[in-house]
Amino acid sequence: MNPTYAAVAVTLVSLATIGIGAFGLRISRTTSDFYVASRSVSPWWNSSAIGGEYLSAASFLGVAGLVLAYGADMLWYPIGWTAGYLLLLVLVAAPLRRSGAYTIPDFAQVRLQSVAVRRVATVLVVGVGWLYLMPQFQGAGLTLRTVADSPGWLGSVLVAAIVVVNVVSGGMRSITFVQAFQYWLKLTALLVPLLFLVAAWRGDGAPAPVDAGDWVGPLGDGAQGLYSTYAVMAATFLGTMGLPHVVVRFYTNRDGRAARRTTLVVLVLLGAFYLLPPVYGLLGRVYAGDLVASGHADSVVLELPGRVLGGTAGDLLGALVTAGAFAAFLSTSSGLTMSVAGVVGQSLAATTRLSSIAALRVAAVVCVLVPLALSFLTGEIAVASSVTFAFGLAAATFCPLLVLGIWWRGLTAAGAVAGLVGGGLAAGVAVLLTIVWRPDGWTGTLLAQPAAWAVPLGFALMVGVSLATPRRVPATVARTMARLHTPEDLQRR
Amino acid sequence: MSDEARERVRVTNPLTVAAPHVRRPVREELDELSGVGDAYVRALVRSQLRLTGVVVLALVLTLGSLPIVLRVAEGVVDGEVLGLPLAWLALGVGVYPWLFVLGWLYVRQTDRLERDFAALVEPP
Repeated sequence: MNPTYAAVAVTLVSLATIGIGAFGLRISRTTSDFYVASRSVSPWWNSSAIGGEYLSAASFLGVAGLVLAYGADMLWYPIGWTAGYLLLLVLVAAPLRRSGAYTIPDFAQVRLQSVAVRRVATVLVVGVGWLYLMPQFQGAGLTLRTVADSPGWLGSVLVAAIVVVNVVSGGMRSITFVQAFQYWLKLTALLVPLLFLVAAWRGDGAPAPVDAGDWVGPLGDGAQGLYSTYAVMAATFLGTMGLPHVVVRFYTNRDGRAARRTTLVVLVLLGAFYLLPPVYGLLGRVYAGDLVASGHADSVVLELPGRVLGGTAGDLLGALVTAGAFAAFLSTSSGLTMSVAGVVGQSLAATTRLSSIAALRVAAVVCVLVPLALSFLTGEIAVASSVTFAFGLAAATFCPLLVLGIWWRGLTAAGAVAGLVGGGLAAGVAVLLTIVWRPDGWTGTLLAQPAAWAVPLGFALMVGVSLATPRRVPATVARTMARLHTPEDLQRR
Repeated sequence: MSDEARERVRVTNPLTVAAPHVRRPVREELDELSGVGDAYVRALVRSQLRLTGVVVLALVLTLGSLPIVLRVAEGVVDGEVLGLPLAWLALGVGVYPWLFVLGWLYVRQTDRLERDFAALVEPP
């Protein structure tokens, strides 16, 4: 690919991101503006922003790479990332908005009246956020290296720097505009080149994918393949509701009903987007099968326009795809940083003399630097699989907390802490063992995809310990339940 | 006591002086979260939870069974549409409209539950 076009594309996306952020800066003034855009974002803006924030490197590059390398099984990842929003809609969307809290730790404190639960939840938000930020920075490095032969660290540092500038200057308001813009950029950046690629493919006489026989099977081998599929489903279906950058978006809705409308539109936006990456994977099997052998399957989306079309058209469309990929890194990292920094900033403001806006700025810098350093230390893990670690951790901890907190009066602070710590340790240790030890066979499968057993463990601990400590059910539970479930216009004014 | 005892005593049918049976607005009960108000909230939560349960069950029965169905169907159904195996079309395309339909039905029903609740609390 022509490095000049790619460099221009990356520069344009970066400037547009900073520019739209600066536009938001002029209207974001108060602390409330900073944290949740004063809760006045319309469902349409909000769902575009959710789509923009949610479609990360894993969706933009990872899905096509996985489909190229492993085939139809991998379609469960995008399905899970969409179905997660359906479960979020029916289980938590409106009550979460009505709880009136900014973050998951806030929700925990409102519901359970316990500072201990709040602290545990804060640590977990940081853990999930860092696990999710790492692959974004890695993906940025990989992209810039693929398209412009730059050193691996350059892309990571570039994305990190832009995110910090954006979050520190404008807060959530500017993030909302940036995210909404980036959803449409990402969709365009995948769709337009794909139209040209499919036309070229038909012009070639529509050749069938290489080695279609062993590759188009719907599932992996034997019982382990089936287990892995269900574990991926558990992690993605249930983890979405617990991701810090997803949850924080629901506080920017006007009310519970608007939160539901927003989620419904998100289902449409995600469904439309996820139709595209698998086609890149399929075309990659026709034109770029060598990427699997060389271990660069993740770059198939970036490589295809140049390989199939060539010439100026290939260069231009390649630059468009690169721009989309950078939009993916920037938007997801911005949203994650904003939400993690929001949580950390609140704790900082409560324990130090910093004003809440100053605390948010300090937290944002720290929350970017740590995963950036980690991304250099840990080397390269396939982008989509390390994102799944974050989903698994969120599913084993925050999913039980939110679901039981919203629907079950019997939940106690002791039960919540037990579930958060137990589920978090189970999912966290499994991830650590997988990275460090890499066992084979059933042990390896169970540790690489812990969600299928860690989520039930988290639920069992929360319910069991809560039942054993019935006297610690907060006295405010009836009032809280009324607030979570009664429509806003009926609540005491 | 003795002074009061000499006061004139009115003897009436208890039904005419007893506080008339006034129905307090549900709205008030809800704000005070009295026994009645709490019962209303519990009923609302139960009906919402039932609806959520139906959608989750529908999701589990359809998407949850898909990995097994596709495994069993592999080799049995060799259907191809546009040169792609059925499994690809089901997983790559068909699932997304279904997820939206489930979400749309849920939003319609849950809005209805809340409208009914509102009509109960603040009769038009």
